[in-house]
Parts: sequence; structure tokens; C-alpha cells
Amino acid sequence: MTRKGANMASPRIEDAARHAKAHRVLLAGAVAGISLLLAPVVAAGAADDALSEADTACLGCHSIDGMQKELPSGEVLSLQIPGGAFAKSVHRVIGCAGCHSDIDPGTHPAAPRDIQSLRQYAVERAEACQLCHADAFEQYQASHHAARMREGHPIAPVCMDCHGSHSVNPRTAYETCVGCHSAALGMHGKWLPNAPLHHEVVSCAACHAPAAARMIDLRLYDSAAKKWVTEQEGSPIFEQLARAADADGNGLDATELRNLLAEINRGAATPMTLRGRVELRTAVEAHRLADKAQAIRACDNCHRYGSEPFQNVTVSVTGPDGRPVRYPAQKEILGSAFAVQSLPEFYAIGGTRSRVLDALLVLTLLGGVGVPIGHMTVKWLFRRYRAGRVRSKGGNDAG
Amino acid sequence: MMPVDENGGLQRIYVHPLPVRIWHWVNALGFVALILTGLQLRYVDLFGLMSFRNAVNLHNWIGFVLIANFFIWLLFYLFSDKIKVYHPELSPMKHFRGSLRQLQYYGYGIFRGDPNPHHVSVYHKFNPLQSMMYQVIMLLVVPLQFFTGLLLWNLKYFARAVEFFGGVRVVDTVHVLCFIFFVGFILIHPYLASLGHTPSAHFKAMITGYEDVDKESE
Repeated sequence: MTRKGANMASPRIEDAARHAKAHRVLLAGAVAGISLLLAPVVAAGAADDALSEADTACLGCHSIDGMQKELPSGEVLSLQIPGGAFAKSVHRVIGCAGCHSDIDPGTHPAAPRDIQSLRQYAVERAEACQLCHADAFEQYQASHHAARMREGHPIAPVCMDCHGSHSVNPRTAYETCVGCHSAALGMHGKWLPNAPLHHEVVSCAACHAPAAARMIDLRLYDSAAKKWVTEQEGSPIFEQLARAADADGNGLDATELRNLLAEINRGAATPMTLRGRVELRTAVEAHRLADKAQAIRACDNCHRYGSEPFQNVTVSVTGPDGRPVRYPAQKEILGSAFAVQSLPEFYAIGGTRSRVLDALLVLTLLGGVGVPIGHMTVKWLFRRYRAGRVRSKGGNDAG
Repeated sequence: MMPVDENGGLQRIYVHPLPVRIWHWVNALGFVALILTGLQLRYVDLFGLMSFRNAVNLHNWIGFVLIANFFIWLLFYLFSDKIKVYHPELSPMKHFRGSLRQLQYYGYGIFRGDPNPHHVSVYHKFNPLQSMMYQVIMLLVVPLQFFTGLLLWNLKYFARAVEFFGGVRVVDTVHVLCFIFFVGFILIHPYLASLGHTPSAHFKAMITGYEDVDKESE
């Protein structure tokens, strides 16, 4: 999730930001009394995932079980917000008013809202996302999803359909995509060898956003616990260790990576390993999903030595908020002889092949061709000597 | 097996039973195909024999055919007295002396026109070097190649085994090391097979089953 959009000098965004701020202040004032009443209920001081007073006030009503609105379409819009999930989401910091700046605290909840259907509401809400995520939205506009949306397809996804609403958190593309494309694994299995493995180690967008730039992300994995290693809040050790290991500051080379892993696993009963995935270099580009007819199907996009995804390599750990904390590594680590030790769980045929094994194969080929040719040559040089011995032996036998 | 023909100083003996000949030629063609498709998989930047996906599918299918073929060889020898040809020489000194004599022949005697120190018979078709090599190849390298190939065929299904053996790169490295060995083998083996009493003698023998040997060696 990027903050890049927030820095862009768009008048629309600046206006929205001003509105959001004003509404936060108004909302805070309007519900201050309610907050006081709720104080014993909503525990304060829960440190990092504590909600602001204004947000707590919103939840005073919007956490009531069964709070909902019946829509003209016959659907029911739940107005109950999962406060706990929102407090843990990446959007906690912008608060309720960050997205709901259209709510006027002076008239809410009495002011009528024109919400005809869940679909119409979801499409409208997506406009709020653009205020901060303009770059992602720009990519989305060029996507197959947006094209279907413009065509009026009833379930073409908008922001919330993939990212959720109040519990927005980093998720893998796979978790997100299979939400709708549940038949994807079976479909891929019809033509893609080792399809379940590909789904695990290749981000969906790596093939389905063909215009995007890819990379290899080597993420720290706890094999014993069978889960990705997550760094603790407030102790960014991974980046410190990586920086210390990268003595020359030009990205981790094979030896430095080995040292980094040794340092990470110092004293650990079960060592942590690195598992590789093909991912996009910028998550924003994952929004530019193409029609499946344009998706990458040619295997040598990855299984060719020196192919594009293998030109950029990062080593990472899952950060406290779920987003990766990345440190650059040199691409040569993927084919290094040390990789058997430091990257035993990442290998892509062709793409990460070892130069040592290449050299061994060349030597074997030279030997396999050279030895017979050499042996034949010596035999040919000795042909007269052999013929002479046979004649001599024949003569002796006759005698 | 009784001699069936006599020709001067040579006589014909039946050393390669039909199941062994079928196994051998299926294996030979299969290994050439596996090496070619393996080269295509690993060096798609250097070769364009076929698409990567076709190479994967062919490599997998041929691999399974050869695994089945391996069991033809194994079952034949397990249920035949011909297994004696694979019995190791239990005296290390005798084996060492025989190997040295064979090496001396290939590296020196063959140029002088000396006779091959090994005399083929029905239950001793391998010379000491072959005997040692084929035991290692058939009981270690070939099974290892098939086993690692099977794991790589479906890494998710065999995830636990792959993890047990140290990860996909470890399994693949073993597979590639065996592949490199077989590349060398497939180049050297036909040349050594051409060093019979005529260049085509051993090739014909592996087709007909009958080897021409010196009379006194029977």
C-alpha cells in the first residue's frame, strides 16, 4: 500500500484532505460527550491499535449489533463496523473521517442518504479511495476489471471488493484473487505444470499484469512454525542486521546473505529460511490486471537465465503491519554455489541455475567428446605397430 | 546357455536375454530424450528444440516410462539366475587387480593390440570396471535420478519429502549432478561399446542377444 498518491499536487486531493480534516474536528466535537460515556467500555491506552476519540465516538453507534439499513434494491447494508478489525487495519491512522468525509456531523444520522443498492454504494465509496491512492486508481483504470466495470458488468470489482472496507490490510494477491476466481487453480492445472506450486510462489499479478516490472522477493520463513516470520512492532531488527551484513552497501552478495542468515539464526533451535516469490516491484502496478488472453503464458519469461524477474532481488521480512520490509540483494545470489545452503527452498529451472553446475556440465561435455576422440587418435597412431605385432605373431605361429 | 555357432576362433553365446535388450534400448533412447529435454529445460536461452512447456511434459512422461522400464530390469534380474552378472567380487584384492588390468588394457594394451583381459561368459559379461560401475549406476545413480525427478515432478505433493531432503534446490542439485553424470555416460558408453573385436560387435550383440567370444573363454 503506497503513500505516493498523498504527495501528488492534485487540487482534488488537497480539497478532500481539507474536508477530511474539518470533518474530523467537527465529528470529534459533536461526539465528545458520547466518548466520555463510552470511556469505560472502550478501553483507552491500548497503545498502537487504539482508536482516536472521534473514531471511538463513531463506533458508539456503529458497533451496535444488528445495525443495518434496508435499501430500495431489497438488499441490506450493514452499518455495524468491526471496531477491532478497523483498529488493526492500516487505515486506523486516517480514522473514520478519512474515508467518510462526506458525512456531515451536524446532520448525521438524520440527513437522508441516496443509497439505492450495495453495488451503487461500493462504486461510490471507491471514489474516496482515489483521494489517497490516485496512482493505484490510475493503474486500475487501465485494467480489465475497470473495463468490465465501464461496460456495466454487475460484479466487476471496485476497490472494496478486493481490499475489503474497514479491515484493510496487506494480503497476498493469491488470497485476494481467489476470493472471486476460485476456479483459478483448477483452470491453471489444465495447462501449467506444477500449478499449485506456481500459485504459491508466483504472485497472480506477475503474470496477469504483463506490463508490470517483476522481481524476486526472498522472504524470511519459519519452517518449524510453518509461517512467514513477522517482525515485532518497534524493533526493526531485520533491516539493521541486513545493513550491517551489507558491508559495502551495494546490496547483499552471496557471502553477505549467508552471514545475514547466520546472524538471524544465531542461537535459534530451528533455523529460519528464505522462501522466494515472483512479485511485482511496485504493488501499485498489481492494479493493472489485464484480460486473461493477455496474461503471460510463456514459461521462459521466468525460466530463462537472465530473465526480467531475476534482475531485481530483495530479501525481506513481513513487517508488523503485514507489509514487507525489504532490503536489496545482488541478483547473482540466486545462482551462487552458496545458494544450496542459503536459499535451499528457492529454485526456478533455468532462472536460478548455478554457474558451478554449468561449468561442470561443460567440462563433462568436453571430456565426453574429447576422451573418445583422443583414444581413437592414439589407436590410429599405433595402427602400424599393432599390424606389425600381428604379422610377427602370425609368422611365429607358422614357424 | 550352449554355444549355437562356431566361426574360426570365435563362438556365439547368448549373453543378453530379451527383457534386458528391451530394457537397454528403451533406456538408451529414453535417456537421450531426457538429456535433450533436460538441456532444453535448463538452457532455454541457448536451445530452441521445443517450447519449455513441451519439454516439461515430454521430460515427465519419458521419466515415468523409464521408471517403469527400470522395474523390467529389476524384476527380470531378481527372478533370474542372470543376477549373477551383477554379483560383486567379494575379494577386494582380486577386484582391484582385475580393475587395474582392465584399465591397463584400455590405456595401453589396446594400442599395442593386446587381447582384452576380460573373457565374456554368460554369467560374467561385465569386466571388473563395468561390474563396479553398473552396480553404482543401476543401484544408486539411476534410482537417485528417478527419485529426485519424481519429487521435482510435483513439488507440492511431495513437499514434506522435499523439505526432509533439504529443500527444492538441494533436490534439484542432486538431479542435475546425476544428469551431468549421464551426459558423460551417454558419450563414453557407445565409444567403449565400439571396442569389441569389431566396432559393431557389441552393438549387434545388444540387438541379437548373441556375443562372439573366444572359444577358450566359454
